[in-house]
Amino acid sequence: MKNEAVQLPLPGFDTARAEWRSDYNEQLGDPPNPRNRSGIEVKPLYTLADWDPANYMDDLGFPGQLPMTRGIYATMHRGRSWSQRQLIGLGTPEDYNERLKNLIAHGSNAGSLIPCNSVYRGYDGDEVDPLLLGTCGAVVNTVEDMGICYRDIPIGDFSTALNDPSPFTLLALLLCVAKRRGIPWNKITGTSNQSDYISHFVCNHMFFRLALPGARRVLLDHIVFAQKHVPGWNPLSVVGQHMQQGGATPGEAMGLTLSTAIQYANDCVARGLDPDQFLPRFTFFFDISISFFEEIAKFRAGRRVWQRLVRERFGAQNPKAWRFKFHAQTSGVDLTREQPLNNISRVTVQAMAGIFGGLQSLHTDAYDEVLSVPTEKAARIAVATQEILKEEAHLTNVIDPLGGSYYVETLTNEMEAKILEVIERIDQAGGMFAAVETGLVQSMVGDSALAFQERVESGEETIVGVNKNLVADDDQMAREPLKPPSGEVIEAQLMRLKRFKAERNQEAVTRALDDLARAGESVDENVFGKIVEAADANATHGEICHRLREVYGFGEPLIVP
Amino acid sequence: MTSNSDETFPPRVLVTKIGLDGHDRGSRIVAAFLRDAGMEVIYTSPWQEIDRVVRLALEEDVDVIGVSSLATDHLLVPKLMVALEDAGLGHVKVVVGGIVPDDDEADLVDAGVSKVFHPGSARDDIVGEVAALAAKARREREQENAS
Amino acid sequence: MTGSISGPAVQEQSLVKRMRAGELGALARVITELERLSKSAPQLLEDMAPFLGQAIVVGFTGPPGAGKSTLVNAYIGRLRAENKTVGVIAVDPSSPISGGAILGDRIRMSEHTGDDGVFIRSLASRGHVGGLSPAAVRIIDAMDASGRDVIIVETVGAGQSNIDVAEIADIRVVLSAPGLGDDIQAMKAGILEIADLLVVNKADLPDAERTYRQLQFALSLRRGGGDTSVVKTVATTGGGVDELAAKIAEIATAASRSPAERRRRRARQLLAWAVTDLIDQRIRKEGGPEVDRLCDEILTAELSPIDAARRLLGT
Ligand SMILES: Nc1nc2c(ncn2[C@@H]2O[C@H](COP(=O)(O)OP(=O)(O)O)[C@@H](O)[C@H]2O)c(=O)[nH]1
Ligand SMILES: [Mg+2]
Repeated sequence: MKNEAVQLPLPGFDTARAEWRSDYNEQLGDPPNPRNRSGIEVKPLYTLADWDPANYMDDLGFPGQLPMTRGIYATMHRGRSWSQRQLIGLGTPEDYNERLKNLIAHGSNAGSLIPCNSVYRGYDGDEVDPLLLGTCGAVVNTVEDMGICYRDIPIGDFSTALNDPSPFTLLALLLCVAKRRGIPWNKITGTSNQSDYISHFVCNHMFFRLALPGARRVLLDHIVFAQKHVPGWNPLSVVGQHMQQGGATPGEAMGLTLSTAIQYANDCVARGLDPDQFLPRFTFFFDISISFFEEIAKFRAGRRVWQRLVRERFGAQNPKAWRFKFHAQTSGVDLTREQPLNNISRVTVQAMAGIFGGLQSLHTDAYDEVLSVPTEKAARIAVATQEILKEEAHLTNVIDPLGGSYYVETLTNEMEAKILEVIERIDQAGGMFAAVETGLVQSMVGDSALAFQERVESGEETIVGVNKNLVADDDQMAREPLKPPSGEVIEAQLMRLKRFKAERNQEAVTRALDDLARAGESVDENVFGKIVEAADANATHGEICHRLREVYGFGEPLIVP
Repeated sequence: MTSNSDETFPPRVLVTKIGLDGHDRGSRIVAAFLRDAGMEVIYTSPWQEIDRVVRLALEEDVDVIGVSSLATDHLLVPKLMVALEDAGLGHVKVVVGGIVPDDDEADLVDAGVSKVFHPGSARDDIVGEVAALAAKARREREQENAS
Repeated sequence: MTGSISGPAVQEQSLVKRMRAGELGALARVITELERLSKSAPQLLEDMAPFLGQAIVVGFTGPPGAGKSTLVNAYIGRLRAENKTVGVIAVDPSSPISGGAILGDRIRMSEHTGDDGVFIRSLASRGHVGGLSPAAVRIIDAMDASGRDVIIVETVGAGQSNIDVAEIADIRVVLSAPGLGDDIQAMKAGILEIADLLVVNKADLPDAERTYRQLQFALSLRRGGGDTSVVKTVATTGGGVDELAAKIAEIATAASRSPAERRRRRARQLLAWAVTDLIDQRIRKEGGPEVDRLCDEILTAELSPIDAARRLLGT
C-alpha cells in the first residue's frame, strides 16, 4: 500500500491539475468533501497522484495471484459466474419444496434454506405460539420434514446453503436424509451459512442458540466432522453481514469479520488442525450496501488483507488457503418501504457493487422485503436482476473491470487501512472472543448504527422517498401479499410432528440424546457426530437443542443498550 | 414539601421485543432517540414473554411501551394488549415499530395499538408521538384514579 | 362521593394497605407518587410511617462495567433461596445533555422478572453526582414500608464526591474489577472510605489478582481499613456470592441499628440535600448585600471562602 505522489515527472500534469482545480473552485467554491459510510473523505477527482500505477505489482498483481486484489481465481466470472443463491423459506416443508423447484426452474443454480424463526431459536413447532409458525421460513423439525423439503431434488448434485446456526441440526437432518436415500456424504456440497456464532452473539441474536462456550465447542466439532466425513461441505461461513446490518460501517464490518475469522482459525489451530487444510474451507458472507464504490473497495481490500493474514499469522502455504471466498447479499437496510419499486434499482446497484467486488455467490433481495416476507413475484424479479446483469449487461466479461481506476485503487488502500485499524483494535482487546464478551464490539456496532441514523436524520445521507422526493405513491404499494400458512396447514404440520414423535423408537431417541449430553460433557468426543446420530435416531431439532442447552447453557446474547 | 406536577418528570418508556426475532438495531436506535429527547427508557433483551412485558410495565410504571418487530412477531401484540388491560394497565400506550404489513397494521390498531412506525420513520415523528402518548397515558391514569 | 373529606385519605390509606398486602401495582404506584412528590405524597408518607425502618438497605457501588448489575442479580438469587423478599433500585446515569436516560441494569437481572418476591425499579440519576437522587430515598421508604426484607441500591460510583450511598445504605458494598483502568486510584480518594465490604468482581479474569492486591494495598493506607474484607466474585457464574452474602449478613448483625435510627439516617441525608439546595439557591440566585460584601472580601483575599461561608451561616 503506497500512497505517495507520482515519482516520474509527467509533462504538463501539475499545470493542468492546477487549472482544473481553479475551474472547479470557481464554479463550486471550496465546499468540504463528503465522507463515505466508513468515514473516508471522498475527493472530487482522483489521478495518478493518488494512486501510482507503478505500484501495480505490489497492490494488484493478477487474478488468482497474490495479493489477490483482482480476484481469487485466474478466470473469475469468465470461468464461472457467481452462483445465484436465493434465500427462501416459508410455511411448511411442502411449501418450501414447491418454491425451491420453482426457483430452480427460473434459473437459480443452487438452493438455500431459511427455516422458521422458531427453528432459529432452537424450538420445535409445538413449543411456540402457532401464530408465528411458518411466517418467516420453513418449519423443519425432523428428518421427515427435511426429506419433504428436498423431495425430488437430487441433493447429491445440488449445492445447498443451510441457514443453520450452531448446533447445526439442519445439516444433521440433511445428512440423515442423504443416508436414507443412499447418497454418500462425499457427494453432499454446500455451506453452513450461519456457523458464525460470534456474529450472532453480537448482532443477530435470534440465531444465538447455545451459550458461548457450547457454541464454540460445537463449531469446532462440526468443522472437524465435515473435514472427515463431508469433504465437499464448507462448515464455516464468517458472517460480516450481521455486523453491517447491525450498524457497523462497511470498513468496520470487514475488519470485525476478519478478526472473527482469525479467532476461529486460532481455535482450529488450538485443536491441532492444519491451516492448509481447514482454511480452504473457510467462506465469508457479506452485506452489500448501496455505497457503490465503498463496497467494491471493501471487498478488494478484504481479499488483500485476508491473504496476508493467513500467510503471516497462520503460515498458510496452500494457495487455496489464501482465497477469500465470499457470498454476498444485497442489504435490506437500504431498502425503503416508501415507493418500494425503487428498491429494484437499489438492489441492482448493490448487486453490481458485489459483482465488481468479485463475489462468488450472490443473493439479491426482493424489493418488498421491507414490507413483509418477500412475495413470489418479487423473488422472481430479484433472480431476474441477476440474470440481466449477467446476460444483458455482460458484467462477467471482464475481470475486476474497475481495477486500475485511480479512485477505486485509492479507496481500496484507504479501506484497507480502516480494516487494519479495526483488526488492531480487536487484537489489543485480546481477540474477537474477548472483545465480544466484554461488549466492546457491541458498543462499536451500536455507535455506528446510531451515527448513520443521525446522518439520515440530518439529511446528510439522502434516501429517496424517505427524506427526498416524498410523493404519495400508493400504486407502488399494490401487490399481492404473501399469505402465511393457514391455521389448518399449521395444524397439519403440528399433527405430523406429533405422529412422528409417537411412531419413532422412543428408547433409541432417549439413548441418542443421553449419548449427546455425555459427548457434550466430555472433552474429546465429537459433539456434532452425536448430533447426526441423534437426528438419525429421529430426535427432533428442538430436542437436540434443548439437550445441548442443558449441558452448555441457553444462548443469551450480551445486550449492550 | 413542594409539589411537582407530573409533567416535570420525563416520560417513561419500555422499549422491548417479543416473539422470536432478535435483531435490535432498530430498538437501540429508537431508545437512543428517546433518551436524547429527555425520556427515560427501560430497555430489555429480545424475546420477552407477554406476561413479562406486562410485569415490567407495571413495576416500572411506564407510560408507553414500544415493541420493535422486524419479522412477524407483531402478530403477538394483540395478546399483549389484552394482557395489559387485564393487569389494570389499560392507560399504558403501545406503539409498534418495524416491518408491519398494511393489513396487519389495521389489525393492530383495532387491537388498541396507538401507532405503528414503519422503516424510515423520522426521529421527530417518533419522539413527538411518543411524548404525546405518554402525556395522554398519564392523564388517563389520573382520571382512572380519581374516579 | 362528592365532598367527602376523608375520600382521598381513605384511598391513599388503602393504597399503602394494598401495597403491604403484596399488590405489586400498588407498590409501583406508591413509588411513582413519592418519586414525583405528587399531591398524595405527604399522606402516603404518613400512612407508611409505622412500617418504616425494617428493611436492610444494601448499596452496591462501583464504576460502570464492574459487574454491579450482574452481581446484584446473583445476590438476589441468594436472598431468594433464603426466602427473603427483595426490592431493587437500579440507578443509571441520566444524559447530562438531554436529561433522558437508558435504564438497562435490569437486563442483567431478568431471571427474576416475574418472581413476586423481587421488585425492581429502574431510576435515572437525574443529574445527581454519584447517582443517587432524593427520589431514591423515598423509593427505599416505599419498598421498606411494603415489607421487603432487603433493599438493594445499585449506583455508579462517580469517585471523589460520591458519598451519598454512605448515608443511605446500611451496608455499603464497593465493587472493582480488573480491566477498568486506574479506577482504584479514584476509589482510594472517595469510595474506598465508605466501604463496609469490598468486592473484586470478574475474579475469573487473569488480571483479577492484581486488582485484589491493589485494593489490599489501598486499604492498608486507610485509617482503620485493615478490618474491611475483600471478597472475590465471579458474578456471571455466581462464584463467591455465598461468601459475599455471608459477609453482608455478618455486617448487618454487627451494625444492627434500630428502625428509628435507620430511618433517621435516611432523613438526615434528605435534610442535608435540602439544606444544600436551599443555601445554594439563596447565594447564587438571590444574593443580597451581605453576600456581595462577603464576595468582595473573598476577591480581595481578606477572607477565605470557608471563613466567608462560616460567617454567612453564623457558625
Ligand atoms: N468475565 C466476567 N464478566 C463479568 C462478570 N460480572 C459481570 N461481567 C460482565 O461485565 C459486563 C458489565 O456487567 P454489568 O453487571 O452490566 O456491570 P455494571 O455496569 O457494573 O452494572 C457484562 O458484560 C457482564 O457480563 C464476571 O464476574 N466475570
Ligand atoms: Mg449496572
